[in-house]
Amino acid sequence: MAIIPGMTDLTRPYWEAAREGRLVVQQCPACGRSWHPPLPACPHCHRAGPGWREVAGTGTVYTYTVVRHPTHVALADAIPYVIAIVELTEGPRVVTGITGCDVGDVRAGMPVRVTFSAVTGEVTLPYFEPVA
Amino acid sequence: MIRREVAIAGIGQTAYGKALPGTAWDLAIEAILAALADAGLEPADVDGMCRFAPPFEPVSEPMLVRALGIPELRFFAESPLGGEALGAVIAHAAAAVMTGLARVVVVYRALSQSTGGRFGRADRGGPSGAAVSDPQADVVVAEEDNRSFAWPYGLMSPGQLFALWARRYAIVNGLTDEDLTRALGSIAITQRAYANANPSALMRDRTMTWEDYRAARMISEPLRLFDLCLENDGACAYVITSAAMARSLRADPVHVLSATQTISPYREPMGIYVTGELLELFPPATADRLFADAGVTRSDIDVAQFYDATSYMPLRSLESYGFVADGQAWRYVTEAGTGPDSPLPVNTHGGHLSEAYLHGMNGVLEAVRQLRGTAVNQVRGASVALVGAPAGSATILAR
Repeated sequence: MAIIPGMTDLTRPYWEAAREGRLVVQQCPACGRSWHPPLPACPHCHRAGPGWREVAGTGTVYTYTVVRHPTHVALADAIPYVIAIVELTEGPRVVTGITGCDVGDVRAGMPVRVTFSAVTGEVTLPYFEPVA
Repeated sequence: MIRREVAIAGIGQTAYGKALPGTAWDLAIEAILAALADAGLEPADVDGMCRFAPPFEPVSEPMLVRALGIPELRFFAESPLGGEALGAVIAHAAAAVMTGLARVVVVYRALSQSTGGRFGRADRGGPSGAAVSDPQADVVVAEEDNRSFAWPYGLMSPGQLFALWARRYAIVNGLTDEDLTRALGSIAITQRAYANANPSALMRDRTMTWEDYRAARMISEPLRLFDLCLENDGACAYVITSAAMARSLRADPVHVLSATQTISPYREPMGIYVTGELLELFPPATADRLFADAGVTRSDIDVAQFYDATSYMPLRSLESYGFVADGQAWRYVTEAGTGPDSPLPVNTHGGHLSEAYLHGMNGVLEAVRQLRGTAVNQVRGASVALVGAPAGSATILAR
């Protein structure tokens, strides 16, 4: 049992890229700015139909929490786990999980890089792990 | 501006409990009848209603007009976004009365968390409360307000969300874990002591020491069990009329001085993608407007009821509403505190942490009791009160 994202036309490119091992965010073809999560139009210059750019997949931990009580039966075996907000090198922030270290070793500002976890045949979630 | 044009003429509530008999519909009816009786009014006098929008408020206007025999509502409005509706419902009720769209507006909130969705139960399908019929089946999170980007990582509850906020507060202000524990614990323990004197409080008979607080299990670090609000059943209601009508109904109406609602990018519940610092619980410009519209200053506020899904929220509210300088509330709550003898008593009923969770509505009722002089933890001479939720939703009330 896994908790997986439902997809819309707006969000599908993000998850399809993740399945191919790429982390992407939206980018405005007119003004060049990037943001996340996806929007139907650029929030800065209002141009419709934003494109997507691949990002480096690096960033730092902006804030985090170690969850020790599950809020869903599907998460009961995942306890304890880390929810983090990672600030990407390119600027936008993503909600993610931290893997590849003890839950007690996560620190604010810690450099991290993306790692991809296939949850089902269809869905891959980007997680982040400490840069060695 | 609302400034004293309308008033709260009556308040009502049910008992609060972990599993009350009756549905949310039953509870809403009981609270509304109590509020009308408190105001000296009958259901037939009601011509307006304001409520929290579904799915938060499960009891609809058609259900209530049928059950209460209200001949006709000519104004009814719903405010979205959960706790962020707290100031909005009073603003809408005031606007309706001031424009003549309605004369007697009932505002209500009924919860039956024992039968509906709860955040704290790990044996069911998360905040939706849905029973899990097939434990092998994947859960597909429908995209709505970016939740499909959060739930797959196990970010589903306000408690987890405000754990992320609280951690960021500690990072930005250079707090150690012990500094943060002492600040959050000060809030939780102070509110518990208030609740111990409150016959309505779920935690009336359960005292809490520092040892109790520290020994409680971590739910979502840095938040422990007693940093999180209760989950329960119950209902609250109040009646808004013109100030003139309220004064004809009772000797001690509570006047509405101001009320605000706002929405900005990513300020909705669980909206975590703000591009600035993850610290702005209440927009400073809206706080300034709240006080300016009311015609009072911060030093005029005698008592505050801050929305507290977690203990972090009253802490940061002291800063966000401008009572304490940014980055200083963690020290302030451990030194001056928020108790009966502090400069600004906060959540004098025990709040969501220790009285009951009623989406902030029980804080409105407590503010009214404080201004009538009938609160169990009465602040002597209280004449102006603030009730504050996150994201620009708040009200200032006065005798």
